[in-house]
Amino acid sequence: MRDGILTRIRSALAGRQAVAHPGVFVGSPPSGPAIEAFADRFRAAGGEVERFSNMDEAGDWLDGFEHAFEGVAAGADVPTELATHLPSRPAREAPLGVSMARYAAADTGSLVLDSHGGQLPQLLPPTHLVWVRADAVVATLGEAIEAARGDLPSALALHSGPSKSADIGRVIVTGVHGPGRVVVGIVG
Amino acid sequence: MEVRSRDYAARARATLRDEPGVREAVIGATVAFDRHREQAYGEVDADAWRAWASDVKGHALTNLADYLEEAERRLTENGVVVHWAETAADVHSVLEGVAAAHGVRRVVKGKSMLSEELGVNAALQGQGIEVVETDLGEYVIQLFGEPPSHILGPAIHRSLHDIQQLFHRVHGTPLDATPEDLAAAARSALREAFLTAEMGITGGNFLVAETGTLALIENEGNIRLATSVPKVHVALVGIEKVVARWSDLAGMVQLTSRAATGQAVGTFVSMIHGPRRDGEPDGPEAVHVILVDNGRTGMLADESTWEALKCVRCGACLNVCPVYRQTGGHAYGWVYSGPIGAVLAPGLLGLDEGGTLPFASSLCGACTEVCPVRIPLHEMLLTWRRRAVEAGMAPTTERVLMSAYAAAAKRPALFRIGAAGLRLLPSAVRRRLPFLGSWLSVHGALPWSRPSFMRRRKDGPT
Repeated sequence: MRDGILTRIRSALAGRQAVAHPGVFVGSPPSGPAIEAFADRFRAAGGEVERFSNMDEAGDWLDGFEHAFEGVAAGADVPTELATHLPSRPAREAPLGVSMARYAAADTGSLVLDSHGGQLPQLLPPTHLVWVRADAVVATLGEAIEAARGDLPSALALHSGPSKSADIGRVIVTGVHGPGRVVVGIVG
Repeated sequence: MEVRSRDYAARARATLRDEPGVREAVIGATVAFDRHREQAYGEVDADAWRAWASDVKGHALTNLADYLEEAERRLTENGVVVHWAETAADVHSVLEGVAAAHGVRRVVKGKSMLSEELGVNAALQGQGIEVVETDLGEYVIQLFGEPPSHILGPAIHRSLHDIQQLFHRVHGTPLDATPEDLAAAARSALREAFLTAEMGITGGNFLVAETGTLALIENEGNIRLATSVPKVHVALVGIEKVVARWSDLAGMVQLTSRAATGQAVGTFVSMIHGPRRDGEPDGPEAVHVILVDNGRTGMLADESTWEALKCVRCGACLNVCPVYRQTGGHAYGWVYSGPIGAVLAPGLLGLDEGGTLPFASSLCGACTEVCPVRIPLHEMLLTWRRRAVEAGMAPTTERVLMSAYAAAAKRPALFRIGAAGLRLLPSAVRRRLPFLGSWLSVHGALPWSRPSFMRRRKDGPT
């Protein structure tokens, strides 16, 4: 089967001029600072963005934020300074999921999440809080993807706002399968 | 799926006559999709992006065997089991084997046009396996028992009213339920399915040879769930989905998203490198990729239409097509509709099954204008029309009239007599003529010049 397919491909291509690879994608880097551009894009997609100058400030905000939830499913790679004091719940029952992003890309407003700390806290709870270090916010998706190259986990995922669908009556509905509320905390 | 493309004209007429709501819903959805696409192209140097993307796909396709072998090596290193399938039946038997090995009784699916092309749902159901579509639009049409009518929005032909009635019957939601209420009902039914299914089945937007990455774009999060919650993930990937480099992904996912929905990027992009690894708290135990030919190597060999394999399935050509907009996708009688469907149908199914669809076009070229990978769709439609005519497939009236015209055009005297004859015909008779009559039935009568062009050319300006 495999060899038959490959042989047919090679014979189909015999004599066909090969197209040269066009090189690395340039894209449209934002004109201003990456953090502001990321925040604008992410908010435009329906997400929320909080900005903290250090871990202490983020921790103080978290103390207030977590009051609305009765339990949490947190990624294994969330640093202890940024962990809630909520009781731990399985992701399928937790009202809040917390993760640590590896990068954020400004031009697309995307968080780059990985599977090292677990994927279910990123997906099953209705609210998702994502931490990202300020120095991990880069201008373009191309840069973020290139930076991730050295360590590709079983799943790397871009999350660029709350889950949405317009499949029913062309009305945009959020929180269809994934989280309907996504809050990003940029620290540093 | 069963192919019914030969009846295109009858099906299109039936849709327009019996289901007037479809035209309204499809025009509303496609005009909105196209407006978003146009705006999203306007925000970037779309011409440069499209030229780049066309070459990324062209490069991969003109080196396809090498890149497939590289992808297979990387996937295998990543712990993915790679299968090759020439036909739909081969895919079914791989799926049956994997399902049996893992004791699968329920499957959750992410939207995959390839799975529709291959008739995967029916095959699995035939094995006693429950199959649940989880994309909201796919879930709706699965409940209706219909195939998708659009690459991106499978249920765009269905109005809110239709879905309210359906969900009232299935989920007991009120008849005036809002889209939010309906989505919530679907979410809770489908969440249960995600948590209990043993297998997730998806397609794949791109397969990166360099890293063995399977990339999937979506908005709902159902593909993220289908690839991370069940213990087995199987991806159906057409062999044309390969791109060479990891760095190709950033541009390809952005351009595909802009062309499809006008977003800078889809809300979720999964980049999968295999099953759960040591130390990872969750993820599937096993990941399988099925590399599917099903007619693609034949298309690759076709000098005039191989570039249609560059297609990224964004749906932009459907949205802008004046013919697609009238009926939506069901009239085409196959999984792919609109201009790309009309090029893929004869290419993948052969002229006999798919040869009527290239005639479902006005040849206006709007499809070519919007295609993110610059497939010259309207030229390919012409190519397939020519082949269909050569194979004797043109409608009888068209064939007779065209041969008559050709005979007349080669004999100036006959041509002059014919042209003079048409001028002298009373308009009531003209209205009854084939072609001319249907033109006149929707357009104002054209005032014919009394002296012919040849006459006036000879006589000079008056």
